[in-house]
Amino acid sequence: MISVENLSYAFKIGKKGKENIVPVLHDINLHVAQGEIVAVVGRSGSGKSTLLNLISGFIQPEVGSIQLNGTQVSGLSESKWAEFRLNNLGFIFQSFQLIPSMTAYENVEFPLVLQGIGEKERKERTSEMLKRVGLDPYQAHYPGELSGGQQQRVSIARALILNPPLILADEPTGSLDSENEKELLTFIKELNRKFGITFLMITHDHEVASIAHRKVEIIDGYLQEGRKLHEVQR
Amino acid sequence: MRFKDKHRFVRSNMKKNKTRVWMTILASTIGCAFLIMLASVGFAVHKSAIDNVMEFRMVNEITVNKENGEMNEKDVKKLEKIGKVKAVTRKKSAPVDRVTIGDYQIMTNVMSAHMPSEKKAGFELAKGRMPASKNEVVVGYQFAQELSKTPPKDFANGLSEEEAQKKLKELSYKGDILNKTLTYHLKGKDSETQSNTPEKTLEVKVVGIGKKPVKEWISDNSVFITDDLYNEVISLVGEDGSGTNPAKEVKTYDEVKVYTATAEDVKAVTDKIEKMDYQTYSIIKELKEMNVYFTLFKAGLILIGAIAVLIASIGIFNTMTMAVTERSQDIGIMKAIGATPKTIKRIFLLESGYIGLWGVGLGTLLAYIVSYSVNFAFPIIVEQFMHEKAPEGFMLSYIPWSLTVIAVTICMGVTLLSGWRPAAKATTVDVLKALRRDV
Repeated sequence: MISVENLSYAFKIGKKGKENIVPVLHDINLHVAQGEIVAVVGRSGSGKSTLLNLISGFIQPEVGSIQLNGTQVSGLSESKWAEFRLNNLGFIFQSFQLIPSMTAYENVEFPLVLQGIGEKERKERTSEMLKRVGLDPYQAHYPGELSGGQQQRVSIARALILNPPLILADEPTGSLDSENEKELLTFIKELNRKFGITFLMITHDHEVASIAHRKVEIIDGYLQEGRKLHEVQR
Repeated sequence: MRFKDKHRFVRSNMKKNKTRVWMTILASTIGCAFLIMLASVGFAVHKSAIDNVMEFRMVNEITVNKENGEMNEKDVKKLEKIGKVKAVTRKKSAPVDRVTIGDYQIMTNVMSAHMPSEKKAGFELAKGRMPASKNEVVVGYQFAQELSKTPPKDFANGLSEEEAQKKLKELSYKGDILNKTLTYHLKGKDSETQSNTPEKTLEVKVVGIGKKPVKEWISDNSVFITDDLYNEVISLVGEDGSGTNPAKEVKTYDEVKVYTATAEDVKAVTDKIEKMDYQTYSIIKELKEMNVYFTLFKAGLILIGAIAVLIASIGIFNTMTMAVTERSQDIGIMKAIGATPKTIKRIFLLESGYIGLWGVGLGTLLAYIVSYSVNFAFPIIVEQFMHEKAPEGFMLSYIPWSLTVIAVTICMGVTLLSGWRPAAKATTVDVLKALRRDV
């Protein structure tokens, strides 16, 4: 599902022409199979979020290649990347990233709107999805009127609405209390088990990482790949 | 993303900043209305000039003259042979002293006209028929009402102008002139002694009355006689009233006019006539020269008006830039989810387009209201404050469809251009910065 090969990335900081080059990732190789839950762990500043941003297409790699769901995505134009994201990827963010001026219903519906799906079908699918995440009574609520846990559920509903084969999660439980965290992790496991959805999670929380089939660690921009879950736990 | 959804999305965004959006629409409305109003003055002046030129003439009429000498029957025959010529009318002034009926008299023009060609050219009668015999005539529509008894000497003494006019009116002929017999008075001069010869008279019968002129201020009191009667008049007093009538090989005319079937044929026919070494005058020719001048004048006014639209467009640019800045995070989220730059650009262009559309719609409506009000109020103001009557049919502002189309095109073009840069800026919003709330 995910195939990252020889990926390196460096930030350019400072004025144009006088930039400082700060290397972040070095020669990363990561392979994630379909139906796998992989947790990427590491200290702050280790480069794990940069890796996720590269895989998401929010930044473009200069060295190395990324293949997602059989498509070579490194080098895609901005438009092609946007289309690819819409059709293949779901996102769960730490700070939910809901559009504040849209209701819970409209936020979940939005990917369907972008895909040009008709109003009737949109209504059915959005209502069904909101029921599935237990937010049916909160359809007309704005994000500001929902709790953190509810907002994250809206965010998950939005990520799942187009049935993507891969979900990228950046610290998905970072803004949740322990009860909501447990609930979310159970939901992720259920989605993986029932629908075979692949998850790549960035986390520094060992409890979150514990639900992954495999855990990889980034230390100072280098990936420590291959340790199975039981090895990590030991 | 479907257009319907974009429309819904844009509408909900516009509703969030109602005051700002409406202020921008107001600026566009004023800009557009100003452009139309300013140009409408130019269009009104142009229209008045055209109406003025066409006041007494017809569009499909070409007046033909010869550089040397008078137009004659041979020329008329040549002109009649030109393709697309509907009729060639020819007139000649006949000598006349006065025309009377009982105590009523009138000093007027008497013209000999070739009645069949006049009829072909579009001469119409209000009453009666065209002359069929020598002593039958057709008179102008106002002929009867301008027949008047000779007022007594010093009749106006002690009377105001209004009272004098009223008294004069009482002296004018009342009743129908059709089928009445008129006396045609002729005075000649002895060619040798230059003294007046005894007055000669002819009896003529009015068999037709010409159609009322379209323009109310035109008064037609002329008398049309047949060629045969003209010849008799000439035999009595001579062409110049001298009593002599030098024999001419070919009949000559004072006025020859060529009529085409349609206005479109005028140019082609004029070219052909000019190639035959005649001088021509047609309204189309005059209008062509006039139109060049007025087109430049109107273009200048539109250009000045467009400055107001440009100023309004700064408002649109500002509003759209603010909208993009305020919604940067939303744009970032949309891009992260999968909105293409094209979709985002179109959403913002649609928003500026709607602002422009409202501005153009309201501006055009406002311009029409102001234009009608100005045209309605102007004659009243002139009468009230200047104690004069505004000219008949005078327009201070005239908005033809072409002006509306030009103004709408300019306003919408400028609006979309001013929304283009903010829309393009929206597509460059950095997703990561937006997600981090760094924008």
